[in-house]
Amino acid sequence: MTEAAPIVFVVDDDPSVRRAIKRLIGSVGLQVETFASALEFLSSKRSEGPSCLVLDIRLPGISGLEFQRKLAEADISLPIIFITAHGDIPMTVRAMKAGAVEFLTKPFRDQDLLDAVHVALERDRARREQEGEIAALRKRLESLTPREREVLPLVVSGLLNKQIAAEIGTSETTVKVHRSQLMRKLGADSLAELVRLAAKIGIPHTES
Amino acid sequence: MVSGNAALPGFYDYGEVARSVLIAVAASYAALDLTGRVTAASGRTRVAWLSAGATAMGTGIWAMHFKGMLAFHLPVPVEYHWPTVLAALLLAVLASAVALYLASRQKMGPPEALAGSLAMGGGIASLHYLCMAAMRLPAIAEYSSLLVIGSILLAVLFSLIALLMAFGLREETRWTVPRRLGSAAVMGAAVSAMHYTAMAAASFIPAPPPDLSLATSISPLATNGIAIVTLIVIFAAVITSSVDRRASTEVQRRAEEALQEAQDKLARVTRDQAMGELAAAIAHEINQPLTAVVTNGNFCLRQIDGAAPSLRELREAMAEIVNDGTRASEVISRIRALFMKRAADRVELDINEVIQQAATLVRSEADRGRISLLTHLAADQRVLGDRVQLQQVLINLIMNAIEAMRKPTERPRQILIKSTRHSDGVLVQVQDSGPGVDPEQADRIFEPFFTSKPEGVGMGLSISRSIVESHGGRLWVEAVSNGALFEFTLPAQILTNVS
Repeated sequence: MTEAAPIVFVVDDDPSVRRAIKRLIGSVGLQVETFASALEFLSSKRSEGPSCLVLDIRLPGISGLEFQRKLAEADISLPIIFITAHGDIPMTVRAMKAGAVEFLTKPFRDQDLLDAVHVALERDRARREQEGEIAALRKRLESLTPREREVLPLVVSGLLNKQIAAEIGTSETTVKVHRSQLMRKLGADSLAELVRLAAKIGIPHTES
Repeated sequence: MVSGNAALPGFYDYGEVARSVLIAVAASYAALDLTGRVTAASGRTRVAWLSAGATAMGTGIWAMHFKGMLAFHLPVPVEYHWPTVLAALLLAVLASAVALYLASRQKMGPPEALAGSLAMGGGIASLHYLCMAAMRLPAIAEYSSLLVIGSILLAVLFSLIALLMAFGLREETRWTVPRRLGSAAVMGAAVSAMHYTAMAAASFIPAPPPDLSLATSISPLATNGIAIVTLIVIFAAVITSSVDRRASTEVQRRAEEALQEAQDKLARVTRDQAMGELAAAIAHEINQPLTAVVTNGNFCLRQIDGAAPSLRELREAMAEIVNDGTRASEVISRIRALFMKRAADRVELDINEVIQQAATLVRSEADRGRISLLTHLAADQRVLGDRVQLQQVLINLIMNAIEAMRKPTERPRQILIKSTRHSDGVLVQVQDSGPGVDPEQADRIFEPFFTSKPEGVGMGLSISRSIVESHGGRLWVEAVSNGALFEFTLPAQILTNVS
């Protein structure tokens, strides 16, 4: 899996501020895209790579906090760094509770912004990685036959082949074949590995 | 007119007649006065006032009649059948209750007025003839039907007049008391006229002695007793009414004061809120370019400290810094312009007029602080200036003075505004008796954003000075022993003939 270059989105209604932030973040070798409004950002094509959002809380048309809620509703989980000309404590608390990475008051220290950007990108990268892994697993899960899919939760629950055979009404040998097949298909070397993978994609243990 | 035997010669005791008229006037005054109370009250209080009023007025009318009858002397002993006399008193009270009720209602149209006066007039006429019927004497009364009808008509007419007067006079105004006194005199005279017409209608023909069961003779002491008790009842009713009226006006005055205070508070809160919003807007407007300046500055430092600084990028960032710095200063100029409101509009005006207008505008604020606002203006001080801007300067100086005197001191609180001739033209002085200006701060108070008030913005004096200077004058603070003295000059307008 090759990873796309990280990108920082900046939304601020002030062109000077946008340019300055772009220049600063660009100076540490990161790609920056700027937008004058939340709407402009929403209607743009977002990249596949790890990304984060630097957001002015006082945007025309829509407040930054409202925008944060909208993003969450639309299931766009982008780490957000808030910047504001005048933030009060309740506003900060609300933003942080809703998952903001950082809340900076303008004018902010350059290092504070860059640190926050790095934290945000790292968080997004980790999230993407995890999401990628889960997506790959789900793909592999799809390659299982219906019978193998039936056997999987029973194996994960720690049943012996004999017990599984009795449960689904087949021979122990057949269960053995299903078991080795599904382990191969899911890429698990051991039962422990299989249990970990199953937990990741939410295969439930069955109690019998 | 009278047949058979000659009528008994009767004569009036004019002193008694006068007293009866006095009672009638007093009862009328009480009725008029109490109508106002009944109107103002509601619920149980209204019923209480109505009962008390009807009792006072009814007793008064009854006492007047009775007194009027006792004033008439016949050469035979006269006694009275007291149950009938009491019935007459009850009737008088009832008729009064009807009258008070009608006069205190929201509206009184012609039908109500007519029905009311019929009921009341009928009641009074019945009262009179009941009293006559209560007489026990060795004679029989014969009536002249013409005069009887006349007396009843008079009673109805008097009632109508009384109702209309009471209705018209129930609201409290400055002239209420004298007008009520006048009306009461008219009403009292009308009641008496009715009574004595009715009396004149009767003539007494000697007859055998009557049945004296339940009859009692009335001594002169008793007649005076009746009069005195009646007057006390009326007086008590009027006094109670006046106390109640005072209490209710006091309550109303307090309510009005509280309302005014609430409104002022609201205005202050609104102003504070507007200031807060303005401050937030200013913070945002200035913070944006500042953010860009700081961020670009940091970028430049990073470039310089980096391995291969790009001169082109450095140049670009620095150009932006210069632009944003200029932009921030423009924001400040815009704010100043905003405080100055608009372009100056120079007209020839009398500074005294401007002072008086400003004083009028802040008068209520001064009154609330129990501060006396005095002006001492030299005649005809013409200047060329912007009325609104100069008013703004004066209001600012006066408001500062008022606020400086908020803290309690022993000195009398006073603001003196003077205008005098000065070598530069016109000199205006605003002096207060507050704690004065700290000499160490005297130079700084005119600086923008300098404030000694906990919630001040610090623009008032700075803008005032700009305004005065833009008019070609000067504004400064003078050191004085007690209080603060702010002075400004304006060049005098030299009248030139326009050809």
